[in-house]
Amino acid sequence: MYSAQITRANPTCIVLLLDQSGSMSDPFSGDSARKKSDFVAEVVNHTLHDLVIRCTKTEEVRNYYHVSVIGYGRHVGTCFSGPLGARSLVPIAEVADFPLQVKSSYKRVSDGAGGWVEIPVRYPVWIHPASDGKTPMCEALAKVKEILERWLLDHPRGFPPTVLHLTDGESSDGDPNEIGQQIMSLGTDDGAVLLFNCHISTRRSSKIEYPTDDSSLPDGFARSLFQISSRLPANFLAAAAQLGIHAVEGSRGFVFNGDPSSIVQFYEIGTSLTGMTPYRWMDDRTETA
Amino acid sequence: MSSVQQSAIWDLQTRQLLLPKLDDEASDCEDVIAIDTQTCRFAVADGATEAFDARNWAERLAQHWVQNESALTAEEFHKWVAAEGRELHDSWKSLSLSWYSEEKARTGSFAAFVGVELDLKTDSPSWKAIALGDACLLHCRRGRLLKSLPLSRSESFNSAPVLVASNSSMHEASMQSVVIDSGSCNGGDVLLLLSDALASWYLERFEKNDLDPDELFETKEDQELKQFLDDERLAGRLRNDDLAVLRIEITQRR
Repeated sequence: MYSAQITRANPTCIVLLLDQSGSMSDPFSGDSARKKSDFVAEVVNHTLHDLVIRCTKTEEVRNYYHVSVIGYGRHVGTCFSGPLGARSLVPIAEVADFPLQVKSSYKRVSDGAGGWVEIPVRYPVWIHPASDGKTPMCEALAKVKEILERWLLDHPRGFPPTVLHLTDGESSDGDPNEIGQQIMSLGTDDGAVLLFNCHISTRRSSKIEYPTDDSSLPDGFARSLFQISSRLPANFLAAAAQLGIHAVEGSRGFVFNGDPSSIVQFYEIGTSLTGMTPYRWMDDRTETA
Repeated sequence: MSSVQQSAIWDLQTRQLLLPKLDDEASDCEDVIAIDTQTCRFAVADGATEAFDARNWAERLAQHWVQNESALTAEEFHKWVAAEGRELHDSWKSLSLSWYSEEKARTGSFAAFVGVELDLKTDSPSWKAIALGDACLLHCRRGRLLKSLPLSRSESFNSAPVLVASNSSMHEASMQSVVIDSGSCNGGDVLLLLSDALASWYLERFEKNDLDPDELFETKEDQELKQFLDDERLAGRLRNDDLAVLRIEITQRR
């Protein structure tokens, strides 16, 4: 299971599910200048950039992935806009061709002789930060289920879809357990849909990353999210190990009270499904033009 | 199969097979086989699937190395790769690229490489090889494996090997992993140059004493061999990757 090769004939599906409720405009603890929603949008844009680059074959982007970015807050629906319009699931080649804008920046790289040089790089933008309204998590998960059911009809074979859900608070429309379990019961001949959850916190409280059981979790909400978090398959565990994260067999794809670095690592691990070295961008960036 | 008279004493028989991944077109194949009977050099290069212009980089490495008469020491190889990389990068300058191709090109291209040079001018033929990555040379004698390089065990293959980079800023680290080796041959010995999926599969067969994998190339016709390897890939026993095999048999002239 979770070993199917991802090809153009057998692509996989990646859903990034984002909490865009009003509280996402609060800053992270200890970083009053940076709103959670700004940081999340930046990480999502970098994740999409990474997925596009992985699929780029010289001058062509191959459709190894079909990608969805769903936000929930005042509204539930796709975060894509512009030429990608209101589509909730887009082949990666079209994602590549239609960013809203492409920013230029610089990246510090080794010069091969013990020093560093700065080289120009491009940072495309597909989604802008958003934070408004309540936290209709159940409605959002139902939307994800609907997208996956439709996609799985056409793609019953191959690496199963991965859903990376990021939230900063409790659901405002009920317990997400039931709909989460329904999503996890879907799948392909290579395994069940992978649902991973990352809860981020404004408070200074200790984070819990990739636990194997719920004994250390503080409350019912945390336990509910744990219950709807899939176990990390072996290749995801290997990606976690490369990032220096302690995750073992039986670890769930679940973070509670995460901080900014938790978010970056959550996306790196969650999109490492090809067994490739996770794309490192955070430490390289020096300035934005 | 082709036969080449190499010296007064020795002949070479070569056979090669190149297959793209299942579901891919032949033009998608990024494995390259190169042969030069003048220099008596043979090479296999495997362009990294995720790299920019990987097919061209693999082609350039394999074809230019066999035509070369140096690049068989670590220092020469390093200089030669750097020059080839510069030429490859220069060839991209005239292209008008999208943002993603530009990003990809900046990192450069990558390929696994193995090359072998045979010396058949004496009573005791010998080979010298250079390799970086996970394309392998296997030296076989009567169904036994005498040597395999740069990797010698099937479990040593992983998804992130150190490869030949076109971008010289990465050479400092990667060139440390170049493997150079040599050996002596008897009449009837077989040298196999293999890209990674087949090399791993071959080594596993040898480790399990399953069968003499070289028999496949002795007994099966091209179409039959292709069907066998397709079946192995469909069954998951052989990874669905591009496949390159170059079989070189050294025979004594009568």
